[in-house]
Amino acid sequence: MDRRHVLKTGAAAAAATLFAPAYLRAQSNKKLSILTWNIADQEALFKEEFAEFKAAHPGVEIEWLDKKGPDVPAFYQTQLVAGTAPDIVDLQGEIWVEWAANGALLDITPYFQADPEFPKLFNTDYLSSWIYNKKNYLVPFYIAKTLLFYNKLMFKDAGLSAPPTSFDEIIKFSESMAKAEKTGFITLNFDWLYWPLMKMNGIELLTPDLKKPAFNTPEAAAVVDRLAKATASGGINKISWTGRWVEPNGAFSSGTVGMMHAHSSAYFFVKGQGRWINRDTLGVAQAPGNWSTPTNHGFAISKSSKNPELAFALIKLMTGNKWATKFATTRRILTANLVADKACLASLENEDPVAHAVLQTQLEHTDKLTGNWPLANDAEIKDAFWPELQNGLLGRKDAKTALAAAERAVTRVLRRS
Amino acid sequence: MIEAAAKAKTGGPVLRRSTRRAILIWAFLAPSLLIFLLYRILPLAWNVVLSFEAWSPLKPAVFIGLDNYQEMLFDDDVFWQSLWNTIGLISSAPIGIALALGLALLVDSEIRGREIYRTIIFLSYPLMTVAVAIIWRWMFDERVGLINYVARSLHLVDTPIPFLNSFTWALPSVIVANIWQMLGFYMVIILSGLQTIPRNLYEAAGIDGANAFHRFIRITVPLLKPSLFLCFVIGMLNSVTSFDLVYVMTGGGPGRATEILITYIYKLGFNQTRFDYAAAVTVTFFILLLGITYLANRLSGGNAGAVERD
Amino acid sequence: MRQKRTWPIHLALIAVGAVMLLPFYWVLKTSISGDNIFAYPPSVIPRDPNPFYYVDVWYAIPFARYFVNSVIVSVMTIAANVVLNAMAGYALTQTFRGKSFVLLLFLSCMMIPFQATIIPAYLITGKLGLLDSYLGLSLPLFSTIICIFVYKASFDAVPRSLIDAARVDGLSQWTIIWRVMIPLARSATATNVILSFIWSWNNFMWPLIVTRSPEMQTLPLGLARFLSYQEDTTGALYAFCIMVLAPGLLLFLMAQREFVQGLSAGATKG
Repeated sequence: MDRRHVLKTGAAAAAATLFAPAYLRAQSNKKLSILTWNIADQEALFKEEFAEFKAAHPGVEIEWLDKKGPDVPAFYQTQLVAGTAPDIVDLQGEIWVEWAANGALLDITPYFQADPEFPKLFNTDYLSSWIYNKKNYLVPFYIAKTLLFYNKLMFKDAGLSAPPTSFDEIIKFSESMAKAEKTGFITLNFDWLYWPLMKMNGIELLTPDLKKPAFNTPEAAAVVDRLAKATASGGINKISWTGRWVEPNGAFSSGTVGMMHAHSSAYFFVKGQGRWINRDTLGVAQAPGNWSTPTNHGFAISKSSKNPELAFALIKLMTGNKWATKFATTRRILTANLVADKACLASLENEDPVAHAVLQTQLEHTDKLTGNWPLANDAEIKDAFWPELQNGLLGRKDAKTALAAAERAVTRVLRRS
Repeated sequence: MIEAAAKAKTGGPVLRRSTRRAILIWAFLAPSLLIFLLYRILPLAWNVVLSFEAWSPLKPAVFIGLDNYQEMLFDDDVFWQSLWNTIGLISSAPIGIALALGLALLVDSEIRGREIYRTIIFLSYPLMTVAVAIIWRWMFDERVGLINYVARSLHLVDTPIPFLNSFTWALPSVIVANIWQMLGFYMVIILSGLQTIPRNLYEAAGIDGANAFHRFIRITVPLLKPSLFLCFVIGMLNSVTSFDLVYVMTGGGPGRATEILITYIYKLGFNQTRFDYAAAVTVTFFILLLGITYLANRLSGGNAGAVERD
Repeated sequence: MRQKRTWPIHLALIAVGAVMLLPFYWVLKTSISGDNIFAYPPSVIPRDPNPFYYVDVWYAIPFARYFVNSVIVSVMTIAANVVLNAMAGYALTQTFRGKSFVLLLFLSCMMIPFQATIIPAYLITGKLGLLDSYLGLSLPLFSTIICIFVYKASFDAVPRSLIDAARVDGLSQWTIIWRVMIPLARSATATNVILSFIWSWNNFMWPLIVTRSPEMQTLPLGLARFLSYQEDTTGALYAFCIMVLAPGLLLFLMAQREFVQGLSAGATKG
């Protein structure tokens, strides 16, 4: 009798554990959930931040979720439809515009107005890159923008002493360094990172009112044509137009590419892979015209959040001077928080002069950010534009035809919005 | 069913047994049907309804009739490209099946260690598709990949072949990776089919003077039709739902060279937040698959052997 | 004619086997040596092999916890599969009104790709209150159509005479099922076990969507940890892949013979 009773209770308990949702088992008064984008390596830091927050706000539970980049949209949107979106979400690139336009994100301008000292902590150019329809949506978490890395050894071999200062020089230099399997130039292409190449030639994607395409011009066709020819001749590495992350960086770190146009995170990747890299062999410069495309991370609050003030308080803590500095100095990344970035650069000056130089570029010319438009359908436009441009750059179609096709595709998307 | 039960009430013991039998049958089917209802049929219905609406996660739905379908058929090159690629992928299933057939014939012969060969060939199936995609992406890599390394070392080519970066080679490369993963699974199905063909049929044919080729065409292939049909259906389903493989290997690129309907649907939904439009593509995809299965069924003699037997 | 020359067959099979094993060899090699696969030329022999990547995997993610979760979910899936599929398979061997409708329904259910069902499946699971739970994780795979047909074919193969004899002996329907059909469908069960295990164990997308708390995650979700933020494909990643592969492989090895027979029943009876 006794054994049966025990077994029954045991079975019931086991069933309850197996069948009950885990998050219901945790008892708490208030719960904040925060979704980060592929930054699981900072677990220790986050735990400390959460501990400090919980000490200041007793009774609050923090649920931390981290997903790899491609998984974040799928996860977040499913949660959105179900009505259980995380309170705080870390977003990269331009995906925030879409969600802000669709009403998924909370307008945090009132919070900025209530605490005017807080926005002052940040670089204004970066901070304002997250304004849509005159409303603020994100608080800077970490930032990166494109710059030009160059292989000084290859430059010397080609008789070049300084980085290119114009588009013409990019083409010329790259062609002079092209030899056998060596190529002169490579760029990243996701999230509009290649756009400075266009902007430095005065090419605009859309009209200022963002209603019509503006890139189908003879000048643009000429630029695309030159890029295509340079690609065909080996001056520009083909992977610029077909690679994602690993291939372009891998190519540069193998020492066979003269210049790489990428954002600062690339430095740490290539340094790990390229044994040839040191302060004498790796050059760092702004792209000609000082144009760059940012790829930043910011914290947003979901509109469906039940504790927006609490969520904002947590964001304030995480991006405030104390923790942003710790984050910047441990991870060697810039945060747009002025104090933190200064500390980070200071710590790198002696430790790793190249990293210092790289990160220094991130804070310069922040008024010349391009490649980011406040478009709710940025992803669609990108999907419409890029494949056609790719056709032109890879020589599958001539520049004029490719741009015309791209214009048709982009017009179609714009017409729908 | 209700009528049957009603009729049964008026009858004697024999009919009551048949009612009990009917209840038993439906009771047996019910749990599975419930699972499919919840996780396949209802989602399909959701997609069908959504395909006639304009909807976003935060705005209420608006009925727009056939607009989504109109856009898809007349205004969307990517749809047609994905469709074309998907059909290409489906058509590659017979290649894998033919290879598997050859392997099965080899393994079926009375050689020692055929279980070892069988295991080795099946090994690729339990591997996570993401892992398959990663390793094959490396193998096809233009700069550091194994295939190019071997080809260059053997002086078969001078410059490396940009498999995954080329508009012409990308899809075939994905197909190769897919076949590698599925080969063992197909082989095992066909092998089992081979092993149930009575040996005496072959012997009788041999006595009648048929050579190996004739025996193969006249005996093996017809009796293997059910296995081959099953392989084809599974292969087709697998290759067109091989989301992980394409997404990790090429992401649908370069351009749209490897974009298949399933990756396009996913991107539409989760990257572009156009779930309504994605639903229209899904419904079309579903109809396409049904159509192909129907065709394959017809081609393999109608009753698909194992899959439908009455 | 008795003594066939077998060496050409062996040669062909060895060649094919080598091609099939080559990617595996590389996965295995990189898992013990951590050689950067983006180094050129690729090295065939692992440079200083060490087992530490496997240790890395153990510590980098809560491996034991994920492993246990995967085991629980897979066991639940297998158990449910065997029961549900056998039942449905048996039902399909009987003639009844609406049978062709049901068959058609099952076939068309196979044609609905998972990615298109993510959101509604999530909503339904939410309505059932099963989010972030073992049952919620395993429920969608509780029954699979391929395995139903395998069981059906296996039951079809039981000789009519045996069933009739049992009926004459006065055995009830139930007893016939339990004592006669199921034991004879052993290989279908083995097939079911292996396939449902592989599908459940390797399932990545569904656990990603349906779990929130870290302690409910299954093993494949740990993958994200090794595809680090820089997509560095490291030794730990490959060690992880091997570790995920191992149980499925073992299961297959153990049930191999039955598995082949089971698929045979599914493939040829017609």
